[in-house]
Amino acid sequence: MDVTLPQRFIELSIHSLKHMQSNPFQLNQQTLQQNSSLEQLHAMQPKIQPIPLNPKQTETTIAAVDTSSIKLGETSRGIIIAIRGTSVWKKRRNYGYLRVGPFIFHITEENIKEVYNTLLKAYFPEQNSQASPGFAQIPIRMANLLERWLQASLAKTVSNGIILFDGSLTAGTPDTPVHQLKEILHTARSMGNTVLAFTKVTTLRFNGQLITDAWLNQKPPCLIEIANLKPKPPLVLLGDVYVAKLTNGNCAFRLDIDREVPTLHKVEAVEKLLGNDLITHSYPETLRLAHILCTFTANEVIAMQHFIQQKYSLKLVNRPDMHRLLFGPFGKGESHNEAV
Amino acid sequence: MKLYKKEGNIIQILSFPNETVEKGDYLLVEDAEAGKALIVQVIDVQFANIPGVLEELLRSLPDGGELIQGEDIDPLEIAPHITYIQDSRLLICKIRATVEGEGLSPSSSWLPSRSQSTIKKLPISMLFKLAKVDGKLPIVLGGTKEASLLTIDATSLDGRLNIITGKKETGKSHLSKLLITSLLQYKATVVVLDLNGEYAGLGMTSDGKRNAYYNKIHVLTPSQNFKVALNQLHLNVLLNILINALHLPGTSAREFRRIWQFLKEKGNLTLHELGEAIRNWHCNQNVRDALFSRYYAMVNSGFFTDNIAEATLLEECLFKAREEGGAIIINLRNTSTIDRQIVVEYVLGKLVELLTSWKLKAVFLFAEEAHLYLRETYWDDIVTRMRHFGIFTTFITNQPDTIRENIYRQADNIFLFNFTNENDLEVVSRAARVDAETVKSIARDLPPHHCLALGKVVKDFPIVVKVKALDVKTMGETRLFFI
Repeated sequence: MDVTLPQRFIELSIHSLKHMQSNPFQLNQQTLQQNSSLEQLHAMQPKIQPIPLNPKQTETTIAAVDTSSIKLGETSRGIIIAIRGTSVWKKRRNYGYLRVGPFIFHITEENIKEVYNTLLKAYFPEQNSQASPGFAQIPIRMANLLERWLQASLAKTVSNGIILFDGSLTAGTPDTPVHQLKEILHTARSMGNTVLAFTKVTTLRFNGQLITDAWLNQKPPCLIEIANLKPKPPLVLLGDVYVAKLTNGNCAFRLDIDREVPTLHKVEAVEKLLGNDLITHSYPETLRLAHILCTFTANEVIAMQHFIQQKYSLKLVNRPDMHRLLFGPFGKGESHNEAV
Repeated sequence: MKLYKKEGNIIQILSFPNETVEKGDYLLVEDAEAGKALIVQVIDVQFANIPGVLEELLRSLPDGGELIQGEDIDPLEIAPHITYIQDSRLLICKIRATVEGEGLSPSSSWLPSRSQSTIKKLPISMLFKLAKVDGKLPIVLGGTKEASLLTIDATSLDGRLNIITGKKETGKSHLSKLLITSLLQYKATVVVLDLNGEYAGLGMTSDGKRNAYYNKIHVLTPSQNFKVALNQLHLNVLLNILINALHLPGTSAREFRRIWQFLKEKGNLTLHELGEAIRNWHCNQNVRDALFSRYYAMVNSGFFTDNIAEATLLEECLFKAREEGGAIIINLRNTSTIDRQIVVEYVLGKLVELLTSWKLKAVFLFAEEAHLYLRETYWDDIVTRMRHFGIFTTFITNQPDTIRENIYRQADNIFLFNFTNENDLEVVSRAARVDAETVKSIARDLPPHHCLALGKVVKDFPIVVKVKALDVKTMGETRLFFI
């Protein structure tokens, strides 16, 4: 495992926090963790024939990556966010993890571009500078950077294993440039690894029905290949898309498998996953742990706010929630409003 | 510490891990603007209800109940802050008083500012200064948690009803011995109804040498060095014995009174003559039989004698104690239930007789497991009538339910040792001078030799004290099989 610290993350985090000392600090009234980006894909002609799976017990390392971001609050000049990432692996029946972070950033209008592009350059030097994301996207974009770094680290250090990603292998979005993901997949392949990407919530539909709901009656464990997908440019699919129904019950997930891997190896990789990891509700335990370990709990959020207050002498401001103020019990808060 | 909530006279305070506060501690909640402060006592320490703690704990145990092995790279060192928040505690406190200026009042009718109040620990020594717990006749009970001494005033035991209770082997007898020896220092007259012969060694050090109290301890063992002659007895005392201890019916008691008058007039008040008189008395055969059975119970007790030289005058011991202070230990060990009741009836009767005639000023009575020898009607007598005569009782028991509820209600001081049984705590919590929550919460966690002092001795500020060691010979140990 490559345990080199993401040094630039730390430097930028501390640097950004130093510039907010003694600012009034409004605690966040909503939480934002793990947002999946919407994809504009439509399935055309799925092969209805399911691929049955036989769990393979061959000793294989299962590794997974996940990251979380959260907005801790606002200052007069910007927002304070926290990011954390986790790699989890299962080797010889034991789980292990590496958790990096939390990194806390003070993002302002002035430093938003600098922070993002500095990190982008530090980890993906070949990547061109991008237009800086807005305040709303920055937590997820920063978390994505950390996620890619963790994925790249796993791809380099794990050999002949299965690497699980959270999300799809669709590239060409602002968070996932094609070159970046291609590079990671290439490295993983060169080490004999297969990348499987599980999407918890998909928007992909077949005949108007979500693909994950369309084949729930198939006998598990099985895969259903969703062929002939035509993503709208600039989106690029770097994986073949399947519906994975790995256990009994009403759960199935979209599963993207590295397109460059031969078809037989793709199926074998899922069979190895079945034989080497615990699968609950069609979802692998390693990936579930990665998610659990990186998610911020309310306790941690309070602790980070305490840290900021103690270390950077931020004054807490209790700015009233306008929805509550105006509409009383009918004001459901800003988070609810945004969801609407 | 931060003031969090107030409900009734309970205050909840948020405390952080670097603030060491334990059950029983006193805190001062000071509102500078109001110019007042609340004195509160911590009666329970709980985990603060921090959101997300359950998730935190659950995710540390996902691998079949075993800790998942891993490494955390925490460059900003947030982890200590997480544990700091996670370990924050909620102190459940009972309001004891309000400090306003120099004075203390039991009021809890005002509310200190949540944002502006400062909360700090109130040392017991400071509390005592505020509450003016001092006195001219100090008795050092032991040490508080802060290593300061808990000194009570002997006058706070004077004229009071006290209860020492707690489960077995927690140090009840030890405390009562400490109180007895301390009272002796102030020349008090003490009578101990010693069920297990534990107090006989009060005049000796642990290594068997004489101590400062040696000459003040008078151990009287019934039928050995404690016997009474009939002509030393007042008829009322003997009738009390016959009626209450030996359950003599009223008709027979009336005949006995006549026999007694007859013998007294003849100047023949001896056991032998009493037996002869019953035999020859003209009365109903059933009455005769009843009187005979009681007569033989008296003879068999060995407590009564015709030999004046053998008879010990309880009065003498009490008068001796009156001058210089002294403890009369009535050793009831190896005495049968009936004989025990005869002896106790005699002692209490004698005490009332001497006190009513002002031959004695007052007596501190220590009664261990009194339910084993005290008749039902005496309980009320002791807390009401006898108190006015000058018998100030301290009950010592490990079965709190054997003491009647009205005794708890009227108790002025309670020295409470550890109890784990809910029912026992429930009984004690009926005492008027303390709230049930304090009793139940603090007494449950008291270590051995620690007691919760409640009542007038501590000016109604419950204090946990480690009872000080006493260099007296331990007696009445439990006989063991394996040692």
